[in-house]
Amino acid sequence: MRRGAWIGIGLVAVMLLVLPPLTGFHPYYLYLVSTALLFGTVATSWNLLAYAGQISFGHAAFFGLGGYGAALASLAGSSPWLAILLGGAVGAVGAAGIGLASARLRGAYLALATLAYAEIWRGVAHNWTAVSGGGAGLIGIPPLPTLAWLPLDFTRGRAGGYYLSLAFLLLVIAVFWGILRSRLGLAFAAVREEEERAGLLGVHPLPWKILAFALSGFFSALAGGLYVHMVRVVEPDLIFSRYFSILPLVMATFGGLHTLLGPAAAALGLYLVSELLLHPYVPAFHQLPYALALIVVVLYLPGGLAGLFPSPRPSPPSPLSSPPVGERAGGGGRHGAA
Amino acid sequence: MALLEGRGLSMAFGGLLALRGVDIAIEEHQVVGLLGPNGSGKTTLFNILSGLLRPTAGEVWFSGCRVTNLAPWRLSGLGVGRTFQIARPFAHSTVLDNVLVGITFRSRHRYRRTLDRRREAERLLATVGLAEKAPARATELSLGERKRLELAMALSTRPTVLLLDELASGLSPKGREEVVRFYGRLKERGLTIFAIEHAFRILAHVADRLVVLDQGTIVAEGRPEQVLGSPRVVQAYLGDDDGP
Repeated sequence: MRRGAWIGIGLVAVMLLVLPPLTGFHPYYLYLVSTALLFGTVATSWNLLAYAGQISFGHAAFFGLGGYGAALASLAGSSPWLAILLGGAVGAVGAAGIGLASARLRGAYLALATLAYAEIWRGVAHNWTAVSGGGAGLIGIPPLPTLAWLPLDFTRGRAGGYYLSLAFLLLVIAVFWGILRSRLGLAFAAVREEEERAGLLGVHPLPWKILAFALSGFFSALAGGLYVHMVRVVEPDLIFSRYFSILPLVMATFGGLHTLLGPAAAALGLYLVSELLLHPYVPAFHQLPYALALIVVVLYLPGGLAGLFPSPRPSPPSPLSSPPVGERAGGGGRHGAA
Repeated sequence: MALLEGRGLSMAFGGLLALRGVDIAIEEHQVVGLLGPNGSGKTTLFNILSGLLRPTAGEVWFSGCRVTNLAPWRLSGLGVGRTFQIARPFAHSTVLDNVLVGITFRSRHRYRRTLDRRREAERLLATVGLAEKAPARATELSLGERKRLELAMALSTRPTVLLLDELASGLSPKGREEVVRFYGRLKERGLTIFAIEHAFRILAHVADRLVVLDQGTIVAEGRPEQVLGSPRVVQAYLGDDDGP
């Protein structure tokens, strides 16, 4: 599809997403869509890490660290805004830690290490009662404050959490977009495609991998921090649940690995189908879409949803490789001379 | 003074001795060919010289400095470049990006501006005849094109010494000859070349020196006509099925 068409679709999608709180959606539905947006954020963060070649089965660790970090900061009296940011920082550090510890692991081994990492944090949260509240978790987390300088509709009740979720999703997409267009994206792709070769070309892989972990952990943890301020409790089994590790992976794979918008689109679609259509009518099967999505990817759609849109370049192009139109015309002459 | 030097290099993989005390010196601005039967340790030697393997014993010297066990990115920063026998591009990246990695992350002659980096990448691709393929993915290239990309990637860090691992193998006789003649042009541009090639008779035309490795030891070295003239070398290690 043409670039203009994509921008148009993106703008329409954002405008549609701005509407629900203003049109009097029931708070429960607002909460569901907010959660879908948060899943979109985590799925996009997961995809950012996958872009650097690191497959994680443990994003619940980063989401949960963000949740606990933000909850503890908020309960200690910090403003929720600062608390969520602090949660993000905790998640970034935690992610960089597992990135460093598993520096020599790849593929399935890395996946297992990250899975174990999330489980370890769940165990820590269960047992470190003095800080985490143990299995009962922490309650009484303050809600997001309303903002006097914004029209009330934007921050009252569930609207505040909703718009902040939307803002986080747009932020992580914008950051990923920027990375794809920078040296960072080039290094990430090189480390992903041929780590040893990247080394021979001057790219020391480890710092780039850790940076990818930290960035991915930061945005997942922001989502976690916001989530606990929406549900206002935090429990180990809720927030370190494997649910938050596996779903982002499924969503990103179904949406299109390494693509900019696929994971977020798939997260919104899959989560809302599961919660709005299946949960009310066939509750026992409400997780079926995730399983079906994986099967569809394996059997029919190796490129995920993004693979359905014919494009000269199936995965996200780096602008480094696509000179502006005028440039290209000039380049043609040079090529001809060569 | 030798630009790149291996002193007493040995490499053991478990009980298998791939290299047994190899002494080798590559003089500046020379083309040196490395010959030897399969399994004689040629690629192992390259892996040590480019920093991918740590030798069990021995030292690597570059430009008068001891560089044994330096990481590949450090050696690359000093000026060692290499290609792989089986091309190892960044498969799902574009051909242009494949070349841009080295241009962007090398430690010498860095460009600050994206545009300068892209210009150099385009120039490099034109040098190896891949200009038209810049937007294609590396996976879409033919075997010959992949070999060219290997060379362009190795050149992208602006090395002073190039380790070329069978760059001409798998190509048509004409393609092989073109590639090997290209070594001469690289040498004219001031590069030092250490090349593994099976097309040794073509290599003999451009090489200043040939080294023959067998079972991890150097069994012959000298000027091409001396080495190739030795009947023992030709019959025992090279066979005679590869001449033009």
